[in-house]
Amino acid sequence: MANLNVAVIVKLEPDFSEGNVSYNSDGTLNRAETKSILGPHSAVASNAAFYAKVLYGARVAVTTMGPPIADTALQQAQLLCDADELHLYSDRMFAGADTLATAEVLRTGISKVDAKLDIVFSGHRASDGETGQTGPQTAWKLGFTLLGNVIDYNVDMQSRTVRARRLITLQGFYDVIEEVEAPLPVFIAIDPSYKASFNTVSQRLEYEKYHKEAKSRAPNYKQYLKVFNAQQLGVDPKLVGLPGSPTIVYKVEKIPKAKASRKAELIDGSSREQLGKVAAKMYEVLGGIVIK
Amino acid sequence: MKYQHLYVVVEHEDGKPVPVSLEMLGEARRLMDGYNKRYSSDEKVVAVVLGHGVRKLCEELIFYGADAVIYADSPELRYTRNLIDTKVISQIATNKELAAKFSAASGFVKPRYMFFAADNVGRQLSSTVLAELESGLASDINKLVIEDLEIKHEHKTKGQAMKYERTLEMYRPDFSGFLWTTILCLDNRNPAIEREYHPQACSIIPGVFVPIERDITRRGPVVDYVPKFDERDLRVKIVNRKIVKSAVDFDSKKAVVSFGRGIKDSPEENIKMVAELGKLLEAEVGVSLPISKKPFAVSDGASSTYMIPDRVIGTSGRKVAPLLYVAAGISGAMQHIAGMKEAGFVVAINPDENSPIKDECDIFIKGRMEDVIPLLLEELRKKKPAIEVRK
Repeated sequence: MANLNVAVIVKLEPDFSEGNVSYNSDGTLNRAETKSILGPHSAVASNAAFYAKVLYGARVAVTTMGPPIADTALQQAQLLCDADELHLYSDRMFAGADTLATAEVLRTGISKVDAKLDIVFSGHRASDGETGQTGPQTAWKLGFTLLGNVIDYNVDMQSRTVRARRLITLQGFYDVIEEVEAPLPVFIAIDPSYKASFNTVSQRLEYEKYHKEAKSRAPNYKQYLKVFNAQQLGVDPKLVGLPGSPTIVYKVEKIPKAKASRKAELIDGSSREQLGKVAAKMYEVLGGIVIK
Repeated sequence: MKYQHLYVVVEHEDGKPVPVSLEMLGEARRLMDGYNKRYSSDEKVVAVVLGHGVRKLCEELIFYGADAVIYADSPELRYTRNLIDTKVISQIATNKELAAKFSAASGFVKPRYMFFAADNVGRQLSSTVLAELESGLASDINKLVIEDLEIKHEHKTKGQAMKYERTLEMYRPDFSGFLWTTILCLDNRNPAIEREYHPQACSIIPGVFVPIERDITRRGPVVDYVPKFDERDLRVKIVNRKIVKSAVDFDSKKAVVSFGRGIKDSPEENIKMVAELGKLLEAEVGVSLPISKKPFAVSDGASSTYMIPDRVIGTSGRKVAPLLYVAAGISGAMQHIAGMKEAGFVVAINPDENSPIKDECDIFIKGRMEDVIPLLLEELRKKKPAIEVRK
């Protein structure tokens, strides 16, 4: 058994990259035409798990809740973190869940399916739902210490403690980088700016080894995949899906177009002369004085 | 009544309130004034403060609209830590004796409503507190209404129409900035899954609501709470705290140059040009929300420098008010406009005259950015020597 067991929670999300994303004429997302991929923040979380594999030889499991096609997110995550196991929690019963009901499925599943975990990683937030709630709520339900906005971390394997740096930005204040220490197990919600760095020769060799392994595993990801339905996970049907969600979406409306707040002067972008005037205006606005 | 009052979880840095805290109190005050009038009741706006040696802040919060403040003072609470803060806030939210100190009404079980800040402390804190209280949470809210609603829902009401009184309608702009979703937190009245969900809670976007004017004649009790915790609750140790200057600095710059999905035809080159324009105008560079999702393949440098959440201007990012704001290739979703509408002078560069940004700018330059910016750069350079910028 590995000395460190980690799991990553990921999500299948609309692919917002140009060429893949499709918008309706009113600016809303065209979900039918937009492909889905591993969410960008899930990818960062996967990278953070890979760091644990390279440095500490961690055993990595990737977990998602979603429809059967969400296994593509698991495959893409496996390529990033060389996962040893892929877990998909999939059941019609889970559909329509809000964050609390989603966290309930993840908690039940992780407690049941995974070996004793030391670290669970999640992304900052999903790029479609954008709540950033599911990770922290899962952490709380698991009883794991939540460390949010983590920009880097290391594990002291001797004392079984994590040392992490967190980025705290508050409206109207300076940013703070906080260094914290916590005993395992912890739940790390990774900051979007996280970047793994492998500095020593031995780290780089390990990196190459696992990276190669990941590339050979991902095409055969189904060998590593286990799918669990509600019954297999042993969830309480009252606590998941729509019945387990305290919140509902009551209505969705287009945000009314605000009354024009400014009256624009129209400039022809191909006219040098007109752009010259814009340039002068810009300097004027900035407090410049034209010395003539 | 079991559920009473609106609890507002206040964020501060060593006693100095984060602006959103006062903004939340302002909106709470307006909502509860309307509520008390409408329902002939006397429910309170209650500020919840965790900290050490910040009693002065508690008094200020009364001036800014709180009827009462619950104050947990401990050296262990000086800096925010999710675990201990979640415990203490949950204790406070379920403590009858505390509520009895500012309200004569009895029967209190939990708050009716609860507000948190949608920043990177409050987002996580609201999540864990509501997981502990086992109720619903809506994030990133920018409009709130209290209404009596008739609800017919497959699960909540088993398909029957039922009246839900005093329900908090929580509006959140979605990721596109074009849609508004209203979230409700409702009790399950369906007998098969019956369950009460209170408080109805949300996190609120900084910079959206307006504080009330500071009123030093307002009075209200500051109720002390002695938090209960053990060693296990203190297992996160803060080893070091370092103030850092954000790599992105909107506040001290006179100009901001932002770009959006309009860079799409040649992203790498366009980003370079925008950066050039930013340099010439001594501006900070901002982006629209979609850009932070890295929708274009560009060099690592351009991606990690520019396509990042830190640069996002709008409801999911920063609010800016520079003298000059240049929006290049930005269509002007409401959620972006909210972040720049206070700018002094706005120049938009966009090929589409029908894009919403046209109504939000002072000069609309019609054209593709790759055509316009090079010319504009030339003109700016030509004029530069003749101009002295007042520092």
